[in-house]
Amino acid sequence: MADDMASRYQVMEELGSGSFGVVYKAIDKANGEIVAIKHIDLESSEDDIAEIQQEISVLATCASAFVTQYKASFLKGHKLWIVMEYLGGGSCLDLLKPGVFNEAHVSIVCQQLLQGLDYLHTEGKIHRDVKAANVLLSNTGKVKLADFGVAAQLVNIKSQRNTFVGTPFWMAPEVIQQAGYDFKADIWSLGITAIEMINGEPPHASTHPMKVLFLIPKNPAPRLEGPEYSSTFKDFIAQCLTKDPDRRPSAKELLKHKFIRNAGKTEALQELIQRKQEWDGGRGLTKDVKYYAETLTTLNRGPMQDEDDWVFDTVKAPTMRTPSKNPSMWVPAGTDWTTLDEEESDPDPAQLMEDLHISPSPQPPQPPKHQANSTVRRTPGYERSPSIRRANTKRRSSGVKQPLGLDLSFGNSPSTVRQFRRVSDRVSSAEVSPQKNSSVFDENTSPKVVSGDSPSKEAQLGRRAYAKAIGHSCQEVLSTTGDGEKRDAISRLAEAWSDLEMVDPEGLYHIVRIMNEKFQADHRLSGLVPSSPQPDSPGRPRLVLAQNNPHLKSHRRRQSTTEPPPQSPLSNLPGQQVPGMEHTKQLSDVLYQRWAEGLRNRWGF
Amino acid sequence: MAFFFNRGRSRQPADVARSTKESLLRVQEAPNTPKADEELAKQLGQMKVIVQGTQEISTSPDQVYALIQATLQEDLLYDLSRSIHLLPFEARKDTQTIFSHILRFRPVSYAPDKDPPVISYIVHNRPEILIELCRGYTHSQSAMPCGVILREALKFDVVTAVVLYDQSQEGQEAVRLSELKPNAPQNGDGVFWNFFEWIDKGNFEVSADAFTTFREILTRHKSLVTAYLASNFELFFGRFNTILVQSDSYVTKRQSIKLLGEILLDRANYNVMMAYVESGENLKLCMKLLRDDRKMVQYEGFHVFKVFVANPNKSVAVQRILINNRDRLLRFLPKFLEDRTDDDQFTDEKSFLVRQIEVLPKEPVDRSRPSREAQSGVNTAAVV
Repeated sequence: MADDMASRYQVMEELGSGSFGVVYKAIDKANGEIVAIKHIDLESSEDDIAEIQQEISVLATCASAFVTQYKASFLKGHKLWIVMEYLGGGSCLDLLKPGVFNEAHVSIVCQQLLQGLDYLHTEGKIHRDVKAANVLLSNTGKVKLADFGVAAQLVNIKSQRNTFVGTPFWMAPEVIQQAGYDFKADIWSLGITAIEMINGEPPHASTHPMKVLFLIPKNPAPRLEGPEYSSTFKDFIAQCLTKDPDRRPSAKELLKHKFIRNAGKTEALQELIQRKQEWDGGRGLTKDVKYYAETLTTLNRGPMQDEDDWVFDTVKAPTMRTPSKNPSMWVPAGTDWTTLDEEESDPDPAQLMEDLHISPSPQPPQPPKHQANSTVRRTPGYERSPSIRRANTKRRSSGVKQPLGLDLSFGNSPSTVRQFRRVSDRVSSAEVSPQKNSSVFDENTSPKVVSGDSPSKEAQLGRRAYAKAIGHSCQEVLSTTGDGEKRDAISRLAEAWSDLEMVDPEGLYHIVRIMNEKFQADHRLSGLVPSSPQPDSPGRPRLVLAQNNPHLKSHRRRQSTTEPPPQSPLSNLPGQQVPGMEHTKQLSDVLYQRWAEGLRNRWGF
Repeated sequence: MAFFFNRGRSRQPADVARSTKESLLRVQEAPNTPKADEELAKQLGQMKVIVQGTQEISTSPDQVYALIQATLQEDLLYDLSRSIHLLPFEARKDTQTIFSHILRFRPVSYAPDKDPPVISYIVHNRPEILIELCRGYTHSQSAMPCGVILREALKFDVVTAVVLYDQSQEGQEAVRLSELKPNAPQNGDGVFWNFFEWIDKGNFEVSADAFTTFREILTRHKSLVTAYLASNFELFFGRFNTILVQSDSYVTKRQSIKLLGEILLDRANYNVMMAYVESGENLKLCMKLLRDDRKMVQYEGFHVFKVFVANPNKSVAVQRILINNRDRLLRFLPKFLEDRTDDDQFTDEKSFLVRQIEVLPKEPVDRSRPSREAQSGVNTAAVV
């Protein structure tokens, strides 16, 4: 029956990997409709299956134009398929890759999101993970809330939650403090998402997620500052980011806010989708499309299944009632056990095939601990901040297997690591994986653009290179260097850079640029930096796009893409600063993991 | 919500209940008539606001009380419980909300240790409501809302008792709480026994929800369930082993093995456990689980298997199987799920089992005749 359901869909290319599963595009053969199907491998999930059911039941009870529409779910072997409406525009996080949104776009998205949140909140549901990555757009610009992996259904409309879920940067202070929270937590996350859309990243983005958990409750709420933003927008953000949830307005109230009332039509968001498509095209990125392939394992059931199989003598059969020490009792190697037990039916090879083809690989999946270090599958350009999902690991019985809880406590440890990596990549991403540098949205290189009409662009870029890359790189290397003498040398170098930045930023810029050119000229060193002539700083592709697409002039104007081309060397700087320092990245990853573990225990996640 | 502000506030709860009933009857007569559906959805929406309030408006206990009285008078809960699958999408959710609030409702002066009034009313006067809610699992539209309402009701042992013991057929009167015969064996046709089929045959959403409810019935009110399992041991575990543990559905299989472990290792079910681990057939089933090709099935199977091995008073049948497979087990267990390195308890339990299997006698020993030989002195509590 389940297989019937699965065969109803023609599964096509991979769209991305979500918090706990891979999402594919597919066609419903019955009506030709395009859908998105999330495949969740239940074998690799130690989570209570009941939690996944929870997600489904929240989704299945939503019917709103502002929430991704659930269609069906069924099992195929040990994979759970969740069929959802397909949204071709991608997530807001994807759309941020070519550059930040303008205020008009942000207000449309916020207005749509508020309607979605109002719907959920009236239904007694809390999303708990609102962020750009979880906001999807249809091809026509319709905005929908997605990913209900951690959503909660309240039995009573006025009750509160205590569970610690969400993604640190977007979490409301009351969620972090675990003092009980309600719908208002989503409003805070919406405010952070608005900042994310206008700035390209949430506040504290360069801080480690675990540290952010301390900063959010402690620091005053983030504010949007600067003359370039309208006062209504600033006020909207300030309202959302009210630290006291009782004084924070509800979704309904915010729908009446001037910033929201003046929002334009969703069709305007098609500009963002188009911009992204052209950005992808302009970068000449051959999209590495992964197609769904059903894995077939052979009939060989592995070493476990042969001669060592159990011997079950049939007690009822008199001939078999021989003393057990009689060695003839034992099955000769290779004999199938089924022949020994009359209650067992012969396994039909076809049946075995059926049973087996579902397992993704002949090897048993690795335990979560190992997964944490393995590369997480992702399609190029698709990056999302993973959410902390609280694995409800309490075995409700006598607590027999309770100690497992430690292992499970973080639910999706791979994602957590991804999150850390996202931060530590700042220094070494260029040298470790050059191609990644070109396709992944790097938080460090803020897409915000320096205004083009300043006196010396070189000087500005030089300053920026120092502020964004060199200073950080020095600090980062310093923090991972133990030897006193080496530390001394590094800090002297850092000081020298700093001096140069103050005295002659233009010179700094030229040093960096020439250094980069020399690297590229040398055939051995060129491996350090992307050899492609394509500039790879996130700020840069906008220019490429503008050149190729004259009809995008409005965008160019809005974002003042008049900066000069030679910004590309900057993103390669870290690589030059610390050649051969790959190990520090690994080291800091390990340290963070350890630190996070300590925190986790203390916080009792 | 406009209808509510236009005229809702002034309407008396009794009127709302009456007109809901009228529209419901119309929908039952002619399902899928858009106009009737719409009217009913509107009425249910009003009932929901009375019992739940909105984010802006709080509820009035008097209004809720009046609505409940009228609802019982009209026998509306029964009609709703059997027509949830006919209702439109939002109305099904509203019905679920209305039910949950009404079942939980306690007047201000009500003693907190007493069952809520509507629960008492249902088990004594209208148990058919509960049976109809269970039958909601026969339709995928009603499975989830019925499941939510049922689990709310099953928090009360009187409700669990009715669901466990009712044997009425469709159209018959369900069993009243006062008529329950706790020790009489079941014929296996009662509403509780239908859960096996709903879990096994339903589509994923129905099956998963039915299992959640099934689990709730079997784990929440221990003394009730222990007595029930004791008097229906063969029937229950016969179906559990064949329909659930050997299910083709990965989720049903994995979850039911886990539930089996939970039931057996619950102290309240000690006698049930001892009876279960006496059977050689049950042990065989378990040992096959250890060799399943899906590691989470193996893992859940292990937690049942360990009970057989740890039992100090193994039956002859169990001893024979273990002795016959001693060498195989001693080769198998050290490598079993060995990548679970940071699961200390699992590793400990595994090495405990290895020791127990090593010290097994050469021949099965009949423990019914007292014998000191090979008595390891370990009791199951060491593992439990």
